[in-house]
This record gives sequence, C-alpha cells and structure tokens, in this order.
Amino acid sequence: MNIDHHESFQHMIEESLAGVISAERKQSLREHLDTCAPCQEYLSASNRVIASLGGFSFEVDPTLNARVFVSLRLRGQQVQAAQPSRRRWVLISLAAVVLTLGGSFVDLQFGDLIASAFDIQRAQAQLGLLAFWIVPSLCVLLLFPLLPLLSKAGTRREERTI
Amino acid sequence: MESDTQQIALGLRQRDVVVLEALVEQYQYRLVRYLIYLLGRRDGVDDLVQETWLRVLERGSSYDGQSRFEPWLFRVARNIALDAMRKRPMFSLDSKDDNGVRPAPASDKPSPFTLAARTEDADRLARSLQTLEPVHREALVLRFQEDLSLQEISAIVGAPVSTVASRIYRGLATLRPQFEGETA
Repeated sequence: MNIDHHESFQHMIEESLAGVISAERKQSLREHLDTCAPCQEYLSASNRVIASLGGFSFEVDPTLNARVFVSLRLRGQQVQAAQPSRRRWVLISLAAVVLTLGGSFVDLQFGDLIASAFDIQRAQAQLGLLAFWIVPSLCVLLLFPLLPLLSKAGTRREERTI
Repeated sequence: MESDTQQIALGLRQRDVVVLEALVEQYQYRLVRYLIYLLGRRDGVDDLVQETWLRVLERGSSYDGQSRFEPWLFRVARNIALDAMRKRPMFSLDSKDDNGVRPAPASDKPSPFTLAARTEDADRLARSLQTLEPVHREALVLRFQEDLSLQEISAIVGAPVSTVASRIYRGLATLRPQFEGETA
C-alpha cells in the first residue's frame, strides 16, 4: 500500500473527526481501517489528542460571578435610566397635547383680558402666547413621537456590530 | 411552549438581570476556557469576561433565539477580545494572521495550559498547545470541547467552513505527534 493511499485515508479520518465526511466516504474509511494498522494508529493518536483536550480544568476566580452580577446590575440601571420607558413617552406627549390645547384656549378666551391687564394690543398678547406657549408645546408634541423611532434606529445600528 | 433559546432571547430583549445571572452561572466556565484558548493566556481574561457579559446585556436584543446561544455568546466574546487586542498593549496586535489573533508573547510564567493540565496526556499536550496558532487552538476547543458544528464555528470566527475545517486539521496535525508511535 503506497503512502498516497494512506494520506488519502488519513485525510478522511480528519474529515470524520471534524464532522464533514459523507456517509459513503465514512463507510469506505471504516472498511480500510479494519485492515490498515498505520491508519488505525493515526486515528488512535488523533482520538487521544481530542480526549486530552478534556484533561484541562481551568480555575475560575470564585469571586468572578459576584463581580459580574454587580456590574450587570449597575449597567442595567444605567441603561434603564438612559432609556425612558414607553409610559414616560406617553405622559410627556399627553402633557404636550394638554399644553397646546390649553394655550390655544387661553388665547381665544382670555386674549382681551391679558391685553388689557398688560396694557398692550390684543394682537401683541396673541403673538406672545403663540411664541412662548403654543408653538413650544406644539413642537414637543410633534417631535416627541419621532424620538423613540430615532432611538430604535440607533439601537439597530449598534446591534449589527455585536 | 417556548424553547429555552426563545426564553433566553426574550430575557435578553427585556434586559432581565435574573435571566442574565442564570446565563452567567451556566456559561461562565466555558467562556473563560474559550478566551484562554483564544488568547493563550490567563491574565486579563476576567476583565474580558466581564465586558462580554456587559455587552450581552446591552446588545442582547440582537440574539434571535432561533439558534443555540453558545455560538452567539462566543462571537460576542471574540469581538471583545479582538477589540482589547487593538486597544491594549498587553494584547498587542501586529499579526499577519488572517484573523487578527496572534500567539501570546513568550513568558517565564507557566502557560495556562500547563497549570490547568489534570491528566498525564493533557500535561504532554500543554506545551504544544501554547505554541499552536491561536486560531487553530480556537477551532479545536470549539469543535471538540464545545461540540459546535463547523457552520456554527464559521459564524463565530467569520471565516468559511473550509477554512475552519483546515484549521482543525492543522491543529490536530501539530498536536498528534505527541501520541504517535505509541499504543494508547
């Protein structure tokens, strides 16, 4: 039996150990191994290497788990605090709706009263309410629902590179 | 009924610390062992383990629960280890290797494999393991200790299945002479 012939079967042994051999080649290898002492020795040495890998026992610092738990809890709280809950989003959006409607109501119902109280024209009072009350709360109302979407897009971008 | 992997995925999505702690308990030893095989050293491994679990907490929602958890965990750990190699001098990186992992520099201290050998055969293997290419060591531990398929290993290391198979063959070829010419 020539060396090339053994090499071909020894490669099949490696394929078999790696788990990539076909059923047909495996059968052929089995038949060859029944009669070939060098290939049997090759398989035996390979199996001994694999078995020896199980003969290592690495020491793990007994405090490691506890340290990891502490870090996880701390980071968990930080992440939680950095990401407002859905309930908080809803409450802030509701507050913005109430403020916008309230500003518009005050503008319509009490515009004259405010103008006379501050001794200014009604148009000026309306402009003031619009600039310092209605428009800011309207901006919050319109922009806030977009923030969770932007936040999710950022998270997805991070997840692509775990 | 939900499978274990789906329950893990749900827990990670919700950043459930109780689920995470159970995973730490279950996988800690295997994570430490994988990183030692990958780096060929014990120093700094605990820090990498901590960072790995923190990244699992932060990016856990990317685990879909459709496949086993271990390959995903090892992929996270590998990325952390490679990042550390780029950042820290102790894990310096100037390798020509296609995967950016180079052997640990020679040291007077006994190798982690020598310290961890519990059988005579393991003791014989320890020195050769230390000098083995890290990617070959990594392929061996993932295939023969973690019992992962070549496809799973390929997903962890980001290399084709044929490359992974070749690393396993080369790893075995380097270690086999320790036991050749003997009857087991």
